[in-house]
Amino acid sequence: MSLDTNDLIRLEVNYRGIFQKTLAKHISTDVVYVAHSEGKTAFSNGRYSDDPQRNGVPCANFAYISKSLSEEDLEAEASAAMDIKEAELVIVLDDTMVKGLEPWGHYGIRPINEKVISGGTILFVSSRTPAELSKLFERKSFSYRIATIRGEASFSGLWYFRDDMTDVRVLGAIAKLNPGIASIESVLSYVKSKYKSDQKVEAARTAFEEVTVAEVTPEEGIVWPYPKPVLPGWKEFEEGTVVRAVKRGFSLGPRGQNRNTDFKRGTNRTQRPVVRFDICTKCTLCWASCPDEAFDPTKEGYYDVNYEYCTGCGRCADVCPVDDCIVMVNEMNLTSNESFYNQYLKNPSSYVEEIESIKGKERTIPEHITGKGNIVKRVEKPKAFKEVR
Amino acid sequence: MTEQRARNDDEFKDAGLYKGVHSVDLEEFYTSGHRTCQGCESALVMRGFAKVAGSRTVVTGATGCMYVANTSYMTTPWIVPWMHTQLAAGGASAVGMAAGIKALQRKGKIPKEKINVINFSGDLGAGDEGLGGISGALQTPYDLLIVIYDNESAANTDIQASGLTTWGAQTTFTPSGSKERIMQKRWKKNIAAMMAIGHPNVKYVATACATFPATDYLNKVKKALAAGGPTLLHTIDPCPKGWDYHPRYSNILGELAVKTGIFADYEIINGRVKYTYDLRKRERLPVKKYLEKQGRFSHFAEEDYDYVQSMVDEMWEEWELPGILPIKGGLSVERE
Repeated sequence: MSLDTNDLIRLEVNYRGIFQKTLAKHISTDVVYVAHSEGKTAFSNGRYSDDPQRNGVPCANFAYISKSLSEEDLEAEASAAMDIKEAELVIVLDDTMVKGLEPWGHYGIRPINEKVISGGTILFVSSRTPAELSKLFERKSFSYRIATIRGEASFSGLWYFRDDMTDVRVLGAIAKLNPGIASIESVLSYVKSKYKSDQKVEAARTAFEEVTVAEVTPEEGIVWPYPKPVLPGWKEFEEGTVVRAVKRGFSLGPRGQNRNTDFKRGTNRTQRPVVRFDICTKCTLCWASCPDEAFDPTKEGYYDVNYEYCTGCGRCADVCPVDDCIVMVNEMNLTSNESFYNQYLKNPSSYVEEIESIKGKERTIPEHITGKGNIVKRVEKPKAFKEVR
Repeated sequence: MTEQRARNDDEFKDAGLYKGVHSVDLEEFYTSGHRTCQGCESALVMRGFAKVAGSRTVVTGATGCMYVANTSYMTTPWIVPWMHTQLAAGGASAVGMAAGIKALQRKGKIPKEKINVINFSGDLGAGDEGLGGISGALQTPYDLLIVIYDNESAANTDIQASGLTTWGAQTTFTPSGSKERIMQKRWKKNIAAMMAIGHPNVKYVATACATFPATDYLNKVKKALAAGGPTLLHTIDPCPKGWDYHPRYSNILGELAVKTGIFADYEIINGRVKYTYDLRKRERLPVKKYLEKQGRFSHFAEEDYDYVQSMVDEMWEEWELPGILPIKGGLSVERE
């Protein structure tokens, strides 16, 4: 098919499965409606292989906007694709995804800026600066832009949608970053007619004005440390769809248990548990409650987290009976996936000092219903939420 | 009562029950690197029975979220052999596996030893669609264990109501609307008791929560495997995805399901009922404590909480066997 697709604008919305599913759906459908209101043709869908979604697993929605294509041509062009190859505008709803994406339908850990094209833009909802984020990008051979709107990742829930206006703020930012999708006037009148709320219109306008943009040059970023994914062809499949099991193997100590080496899930984390081995009572509860088998029992009776596999659900921090022994820390504050227990063995006092400085004095304690958001508490009484029992 | 308890414990004195959390085996046979949700309770159930059953085990799994999560895209976290089977074929696959092993051993093709056969099916796979197959399996003489992991929905296909979904819950089949607040109007199917009463030859049927009381679930798997013949285990699995709570709180919700009495925790050993967490003698927590923590009940009005509470009260105060059997099975005889 030879279509003039020069004016096709592709948009990718990266989000955390389930937590942000409703939010991402709002954004990608709203973009289509706004573009429609300007007489453009637009279309959006979700990445096929993301469903059935899992909590925290990176997912993506796409939207396509065109001035010249008819609806049939745009659908033919866009709807059959399982994934897009490039995008003019990439939106990231949780900044911890900058450490890499491992969607569950694909092999390997991919860079967040994989799809962005030369002169394109990548937009984050983040409280960090563009420079802090772009230093974790994969290095590209061309220049593009990074933009941020200030805010913590909105985990707005599935059945119960907590509206913190992230959706309309992103719409406002889109109008600024790519006016070809829609102008700010169209966005504001759409928001006004959909929500009948001046507050929401104001939020969209503020985001339009406040979005921070910076240039990412070809020198910036890192050489991507993970191998590029290669899917096996049909000739490599064994007879009867056999999948080789993990070889049995176990010994005490960090990384002593044999695990599935082809699918590690560390990139699902927005927070990670950090263990204070010096005050641990060896009660076994963290290890026993871990649904990802991420704890390695050690000779001395402690339990070390394998961060390559830990998904950061926080169950261990919740069951830990010792105040401040296991604490969930924002993933962006830490870089290494190496064994913390080995670091502790080398020098216990410097380990404790270091992780205490990373942990800080504040603890984020999520509400039970994801949609109702987080409570931030001072560390003095970190286990107050245990009262619910 | 004490005599009966002594008898129950005696029966499993050779099963090598765990005495406490520190005696639990450390090695995993279902390991990291699976495609489950953060905080997934069913993964813990899987990890638990694989650990207890050990290396000489074969597992079959009916379609469901725990099938898709475990061998998709040519990778697996399994160390022991696992086989996928169709949605309603959980029972039949376990029977086939157990009978096959028996036949091979009789013909001397494989050495005679105890090989555990476990089927892992969900509330839809075992409780609704596969019910006939499970019932058939429980009428056979083969050694097999059927574990029903109950996350109260078809969680793989994004949360559709099943026969085991709690009354009033929001699912994609039963969304709350402006005209009708409650769309899930069925009471939860009493699957474990139904299978125990309907299959009198089954030596061991139990319900459990994977994390509460500690090691209780693991010991129930040990007992089920030691009892011999077909056995059944039904676990309540809080599901952060469909129940809409932060994955951090799976333990609390499992514990509350037991402590509020909405899920009866018991075992039936050769027809004798033993309550694991006996709410006839303990204080029951208000069921609202359990419901209000979940987004799927976020549409509940006060009267809905009261209704669920009244049903749970009736279950514990008026039933012939609380949580298991209503008076005369809930039936009344028409006057002649």
